[in-house]
Amino acid sequence: MTGVNSTTGGPAGSPATGRIAYFHFATLAVYAFVAVLAALIVFGAFATPGFLSISNLSAILTSTAFVGIIAVGSTLIMLSGSLFSISLGTTTAITAILFMFLLHYGVVAAIAGTLLAGTAIFAVQGALVGLIGANPIIVTIGAGAIQEGIIGWLSPGDITPPPGANIEFLARTIFGLPFSVYVFLGLALALDLCMRHTRFGLEIYLLGENQPAARAAGLPVSLLTTAAFAVAGFCVAVTGVLVAGFAQNVNLQVAGTYTFDAIAAILVGGSAVTGGWGSVGRTVIGALIIATVTDMLLLVGASTGMQILVKGLIVTTVVVLLHLSRRERRSP
Amino acid sequence: MSSSKAPSARKAPVSRRVRTSMPYVLLAIMCAALFVLPQFAGRQASAFNVYDALQLFSAYGLVALGVGLTMIVGEFDFGVLGVFALCPMIAVKLGEYNLLLGLGAALALAGLVGFLEGAIVAKLRVHSMPVTLGFYIALLGANIAIGNSQSVSFSNLDVGSALDAAQFSILSWRSIIAFLVFALVFVVMRFTRVGRDIRAVGGDRRASRMVGVEVDRVLIGVFVVSALCSALGGILLAYSFATALSNPGLFPLQFAVTAAIIGGVSLAGGVGGALGIAAGALTLSLLQELFSLLAAPTYLSSLITGILLVLATFIAAPDLAARWKSFRSPRPRALDGVVSPVPQPASK
Repeated sequence: MTGVNSTTGGPAGSPATGRIAYFHFATLAVYAFVAVLAALIVFGAFATPGFLSISNLSAILTSTAFVGIIAVGSTLIMLSGSLFSISLGTTTAITAILFMFLLHYGVVAAIAGTLLAGTAIFAVQGALVGLIGANPIIVTIGAGAIQEGIIGWLSPGDITPPPGANIEFLARTIFGLPFSVYVFLGLALALDLCMRHTRFGLEIYLLGENQPAARAAGLPVSLLTTAAFAVAGFCVAVTGVLVAGFAQNVNLQVAGTYTFDAIAAILVGGSAVTGGWGSVGRTVIGALIIATVTDMLLLVGASTGMQILVKGLIVTTVVVLLHLSRRERRSP
Repeated sequence: MSSSKAPSARKAPVSRRVRTSMPYVLLAIMCAALFVLPQFAGRQASAFNVYDALQLFSAYGLVALGVGLTMIVGEFDFGVLGVFALCPMIAVKLGEYNLLLGLGAALALAGLVGFLEGAIVAKLRVHSMPVTLGFYIALLGANIAIGNSQSVSFSNLDVGSALDAAQFSILSWRSIIAFLVFALVFVVMRFTRVGRDIRAVGGDRRASRMVGVEVDRVLIGVFVVSALCSALGGILLAYSFATALSNPGLFPLQFAVTAAIIGGVSLAGGVGGALGIAAGALTLSLLQELFSLLAAPTYLSSLITGILLVLATFIAAPDLAARWKSFRSPRPRALDGVVSPVPQPASK
């Protein structure tokens, strides 16, 4: 889970000279929190009727898939030091709508066109951030508003696929799990390997860790930022296609809370919000933790609001504890 | 725009004057547009339109003030969205029994939320974005749980009609309250040390700490004021519509950030003030009103807001001046450190 980051995560914790070494309280707190969470999940797994059934476990994976795909892609934005995008959900909905529209030209063309569009939409934002140092939050809020405007202009209301469109395979179940789960796991694995073992991945880490250093080393900073956004856009478009195939009936509200769910998954996974530290694998775990807790709350009959509330509390706790432990290790 | 071409845009007095006067110029243009443009569509802007725009201002302008203040101090507050959702719900639910109790409880809650956010950001030095995002999600969840996934209506309609009754034909108590809050923040920032401290903390936190600014207190205070402002905006809106929404969505944040940015606040911190934010929020409110007066479809205002935001970011972007210079320079490496010696990845 942490392989890549041994340089920033581990040895940096060597105690500084001249000060009395003390226990890393926050680090212990992180372990304690993880232990408590794990214990709760294990306890809940046995105590909650129906949790350990195959159908429920596959339900967890299924509910993780859509947000998970967006989250693993957006992890690259965060790792590259550009925080996150606030228009993930909007672009998901837009790509879903676009996919439905493009289905008139055949399934293959629709998928290709949608993925290209999603990648392009995000790449433009990434270029703005990378080329002129625009603030990613503002750019993505603005881009989200523009996209909402454009979609309001182009499409009134719900869109259904044209008759005879052969998109059932997008919602098909293979070995008990829906197609989207395989896409999620495949993309996560590919991106994780890419981030660990390719030059591109390592350069993204350096960019997020220390932008001046990355510039000084002659890395193509703007290009890397654009690429990180483009990968995120690609993943968002993949979700758009899958959502369209699943929902059969899409509108701007189809991706309701995906934006903050995806960001929450990255944060709960423990990647540093300022970039340079974390991994795609962590995001997968974060997404699974959120989905598991949500599922458990659902099974014990907690309301939607309660599920969101707990999600927010987990995000805040994880962010604060991880920050403290990282700070302790960096400057004891 | 011309300001960004200047070699040292930040220090050149002309460009700074252009930048500081930009919000008021935009506001003036918007005012003129509200009265001129409808003529072409055979309509006439009236006092009611101004009243309507000010009603909008009283709800979302206050959120803009909160978000803007946190931006001036170099932070960002997603929590305002949560407070904007939850506090009206509390105010409406408890307000059924006793109006003052509801109002007091809701504002106390907002103060507490702001204090917690500020304390975490100031004392533990956590990045404000993820923390306040977590707060937003949690508060929204609490709001949805309390309202049972539904909007809650307020039976006391008198409050809303009293708040909305027109005063001096363009104002209402709601907009008067909003203006008073803006005036209060302006006066405090202008005539006490607080304003200077806030800008100092946003400009260079370490240096401010060195020269004795109570950085932690300033941060906590700003987050408390931010939460209080946006809670007040939400509560006034909820009383006026006699409804507390289950999920107000992202619009308040879109509006607030756009208003703050075109009001001259920089996300890098240290720049801006209440007057600029007021101008930005008024500009946006008038813009919305203009669109509804022209019977333009709602997507258009969303589109324009987005374009304004991206344009403002473009103008305020730190590397733009250097980029422009490198674009015009025959030698691509003429600029220090800003541009990488690599082919341009994407067209603008």
